[in-house]
Amino acid sequence: MVAPAVILTASLVGYPLVRGIMMSLRGGGGATGLPTHYVGLRNYRDLISDPDTKSAALHTAFYLVIAVTLEIIGGLIVAVTLQRAFRGRGLVLAILILPWALPSVVSGVLWRRILDPDSGLLNRALLSLHIINTPHVWLASDGWAIFFISLVHVWGLVPLVSLVLLAGLQSIPDNLYGASAVDGAGALQQFRYITLPLLRPALVVALTVGTLAAVSIFDEVYVLNGTALNTRSLLMQVYNTSFNQADFSHGIALAMMVAILSATLAIIFGVMLRRATR
Amino acid sequence: MRWVLAALAALAVGSLVATACSSSNDSSTTGPIKGQRITVLIPYKVPQSILDRFTAQTGVKLSFQVTAFDALHQKLVVAASAQTNIADVTEMDWSWVGQFGGSGWYTPLEKSLPAPVVADLGKTNKIFTARSHLYAACYSNDIRFPIYNGDQFTKAGISSFPTTFTGLEQTLDTLKAKHVAQYPMTVALGATEGGVTPWYLLTLSMGGQLFDKDNKPVFGAPGSVAHQALQFEIQALKQGWLNPGAITLDDAAAADRFTGGAASISLASGPGSLVTANDKTQSHIAPNAKAALMPGVNSAGPTLGLPEGLGIPSTSKHQAAALAFIKWWESTPTQRLLYKQAGFLPCSGAALSSLSASGELQGGAVVAEAVKHLTPLFPNGAPPWYPAFSAKAQGLINSAVKGDISVDAALAQLEDATKKIASR
Repeated sequence: MVAPAVILTASLVGYPLVRGIMMSLRGGGGATGLPTHYVGLRNYRDLISDPDTKSAALHTAFYLVIAVTLEIIGGLIVAVTLQRAFRGRGLVLAILILPWALPSVVSGVLWRRILDPDSGLLNRALLSLHIINTPHVWLASDGWAIFFISLVHVWGLVPLVSLVLLAGLQSIPDNLYGASAVDGAGALQQFRYITLPLLRPALVVALTVGTLAAVSIFDEVYVLNGTALNTRSLLMQVYNTSFNQADFSHGIALAMMVAILSATLAIIFGVMLRRATR
Repeated sequence: MRWVLAALAALAVGSLVATACSSSNDSSTTGPIKGQRITVLIPYKVPQSILDRFTAQTGVKLSFQVTAFDALHQKLVVAASAQTNIADVTEMDWSWVGQFGGSGWYTPLEKSLPAPVVADLGKTNKIFTARSHLYAACYSNDIRFPIYNGDQFTKAGISSFPTTFTGLEQTLDTLKAKHVAQYPMTVALGATEGGVTPWYLLTLSMGGQLFDKDNKPVFGAPGSVAHQALQFEIQALKQGWLNPGAITLDDAAAADRFTGGAASISLASGPGSLVTANDKTQSHIAPNAKAALMPGVNSAGPTLGLPEGLGIPSTSKHQAAALAFIKWWESTPTQRLLYKQAGFLPCSGAALSSLSASGELQGGAVVAEAVKHLTPLFPNGAPPWYPAFSAKAQGLINSAVKGDISVDAALAQLEDATKKIASR
């Protein structure tokens, strides 16, 4: 009965994975114009000592921390706000989903217009309010550039996180809040001792989605700042190495390292989810 | 038994079909080309009316695809590495010749192109030759030179384009002081191929070189001309000669600032941009764009040639039709049309002479003079590792102009990386 699933998985996941691992152990080809040859783990060693790869890993860590933090906090605020019924709730929910429905490239293009140093909305607003005197290039400096790219990423993902957390909130029985109110618990105590513990499974799911999306951040970085070094993520580095430099051996080796990182994080979150739902 | 017979019959039919398909492919390469369809992939639009002439003359149907320059290189590399065919005739930039030719991804043309066509392309053939084979026919003699808005110069009281960098700085200050343009110059400084070209050009025009005769990097030493060139880009941003957003612009977006009237000088421009800037359907400043020579230290300086050619991937199943397209494209009537309607400065000596004689060569005197100032970026021809060098340079030069790292650090890192890339 499981044979079709096994065959499908083996052909769609197993074969490319094995072939990728084999290619990551070879040198030559691509830009070199030389036949490929076995080089063992040399590609991996090169990448570990490569300054561009190191900075891309650091940027990805920043994207991860900023994005996941903002997504969880933002998602929680939205979910708690939408938990209670109010007039126009359906409309708010529909509007909330819009950024998630937009492809990330489209979000990136929209935000590029907003952040454009010469004609962008943000600079125009700040100039007219006399908060800045000269146009600011938001995507130039490390800190602002990573923050704004993270913000665009968060903007697209908060709706999904909110919906996951909202579903979690709605699964908490109302009588628990009623009973705790009788015992004299305030809103803050109810949130601390009822909402948060019972929301743990939904939080772990949101954390998983947010983390894996941040590790694989690409579209927003590429559209907003191209392959610039100050914002390059790990996947951007894979792209740049493979296609701009036509160095497929190192590109695939780096892709394998990103895949291992993603798989490790997914396993950790899987264990956390299992514990949370016990 | 019946199953075995059925399987054998299926195998026999399959073999016949496969043989038939393979012979049809073979005949398409050598037989008559009329009725075939070829795909041409280059980074520039060409008016359909010109392309229709090819089909009318040869009976070959054309699928003409346009893809952005950087993306096109990536697509070609991926397709060639996977040995799949995405087009029958493709762009071959000067910088790809070492990589594409060395890998055997393209068909040598020196024997299949008619001898008069090869002879007419003259010196450009050397640029498209690797390992003694000609891998492309040059079609765009892309020389870098500045273009400027004559109308805005007149408003600022400037009568001619400066011939030295000192003069250029004074001109830019005047244009700014007279409020002709808030940011009077436009140059692409984003992390793209177009963003590093101005640095190459400035280094050459300031009298320097990036590589020695053995293609070894010579830009890393502090105080080198390459340092001064990069410092000039940073100074241009600090002085407000360039718009702050230039550090995120590619060459197309930078050119738009000139054709939109926001900048008076497009420094690292060329013949194609000149034609576009003087075309009323594509530019707000037409017909005021004029060509000038690159400034130098004491007089007009050296400049950079970035010629582009057409090549035939060895995976093409329509080699004969693809060759017919290149022959047609390189013919003098087509080259004349391509220059007048698409802005490609011909590499063909006959087409150039014809345009010059009829007075249709825009900025003809400047173009003719600029050709004399051409200096190769790689004295020994583009090496196969150029794409890897360029990708590294794009990031580091962009970081330096943004102020993320110092000029010294950027160029020292680039020199180290180049040595590593070249030794792989």
